[in-house]
Amino acid sequence: MTDAITIKNLNYGYPEQGELFKDFNFSVQEGEWLAIVGHNGSGKSTLSKLVLGLLDFDKGEIDVFGQRLSEDTLASIRAQVGMVFQNPDNQFVGATVADDVAFGLENRQVPSKEMPAKIEAALQQVGMEAYAEREPHTLSGGQKQRVALASILALKPRVIILDEATAMLDPEGKQAVMATLKELKARYQDQLTLIMITHDMEEAALADRVAVINDGQLVFDEQPETLFLKGKQLEELGLAQPFAMALQSALGVTPATYRTKQELATWLSTLKA
Amino acid sequence: MNNLVIGQFVPGSGILYRMDPRTKILMTIVYVFLLVFANSWPTYLWAAIFLLAALILTKQGLGLYWRGIKPILWLILFTVVLQLLFSGGTPVLFQWGAIKVTQPGLINAFYVIVRFVLIVLMSTILTITTPPTAIASAIESLLKPLKAIKVPVAELALMLSIALRFVPLLMGETDKIMKAQKSRGMSLSTGSLIKRAKAVIPLLVPLFVGALQRALDLANAMEVRGFESAEGRTRYRELSYGRDDVLAFIAIAVFAVGFLALSFIK
Repeated sequence: MTDAITIKNLNYGYPEQGELFKDFNFSVQEGEWLAIVGHNGSGKSTLSKLVLGLLDFDKGEIDVFGQRLSEDTLASIRAQVGMVFQNPDNQFVGATVADDVAFGLENRQVPSKEMPAKIEAALQQVGMEAYAEREPHTLSGGQKQRVALASILALKPRVIILDEATAMLDPEGKQAVMATLKELKARYQDQLTLIMITHDMEEAALADRVAVINDGQLVFDEQPETLFLKGKQLEELGLAQPFAMALQSALGVTPATYRTKQELATWLSTLKA
Repeated sequence: MNNLVIGQFVPGSGILYRMDPRTKILMTIVYVFLLVFANSWPTYLWAAIFLLAALILTKQGLGLYWRGIKPILWLILFTVVLQLLFSGGTPVLFQWGAIKVTQPGLINAFYVIVRFVLIVLMSTILTITTPPTAIASAIESLLKPLKAIKVPVAELALMLSIALRFVPLLMGETDKIMKAQKSRGMSLSTGSLIKRAKAVIPLLVPLFVGALQRALDLANAMEVRGFESAEGRTRYRELSYGRDDVLAFIAIAVFAVGFLALSFIK
């Protein structure tokens, strides 16, 4: 498999806070579902902004599908990488759902005749086609984030970065967004690379691979099943354990394998018998 | 603030909803412009008939328009009082010290009310039947000639439509901050004027900080979705004149000719 994103010897620091990333190396494979976790200020969101050229880094190289990120390739890279931001209200450009999905298409100079079909198709993929003419402030947070996803899907990206996209949502909204992501991944498979920046471990559990970042350093980089066995170490990094694992350690059990809530329930019922 | 009808779009299905927003803006401008020259009761009557026809064509209840006029009743009354007291002329109908009410004053005051109400209602019809974004793109289209003298029309229109889109959001936020500050003991309705003015500061600061954060976020979201410049983008909603617009232009032309004829007859 080829690399979707390759980061080599990246150096970056915020003006007042000193160095954040120092000779940082990382890569994302095409078609994988990656979760990047870390506590607040660990640099995980900064990383996504660097990849999209929203922040300028001091030294190093970022390649996206073999293209080196620079002033000249910025437009072409942004055409391949879409991003959903944390605050659902602040990324809505259009006055209605359809207008918002149209915004990206207008930027790419898609002829107006082709737009309605593309908008319809994109909204269908996130189950929001019935809301096309609604105004954003009449939607729930989860619906807004799904529209934000549709706005990106309409542009046919190869990579979607979700930057804490569910952090401001209620549990219902979170579930709806995660269900939509699962559907998209099932539909596009290797054609779509998902990068989910989060501090919700339940969400991270859905990914193929979890990268833990702490103060600009890659601390862990492995499958969720093995990562979640390191409960204590995760807590030291300011991260919560997934509910099922936290419950087991509260019960004084040190599990040998990762269990989801469902598996934990089955296991607990065998214990009683 | 939510009962303000001026500037608010109300979905509906009348013929005025199907018309091109440019037609409606041009009609409103012509109507208001002509009304300034109204000088006799036949001209006002003619203008009122035209307005009534437009009102009926919006297929909205008259209660909606009454709510549109209510907030500016005081402004109308104030102007009327000024007209009544300072018009001069003869015959004098009523005098009390330096204050006198004359017949021309009375007539003028009445005309002022009619003119005010007609203008407000006409612009209310425009905003009730036209979504803000349609108004923004119509303004862009109408101002296109200004591009020749390097006015960034596309940018201005985009800014306008984004500003409009953030109005309900910022109103909601103001409401939230107000409630938060009230729950901490702030009062906007008691105390001296200076005290009240000072109470606004803890309201404005978080509102501004929030608005700036939103602006930064929005700029990022726009850039990521490929926005480079307001120029050279295609349009999802393209404006086009149709049969209804031709009818509208004929109607306004008939109105204008009739109006001018009536104003010369005297």
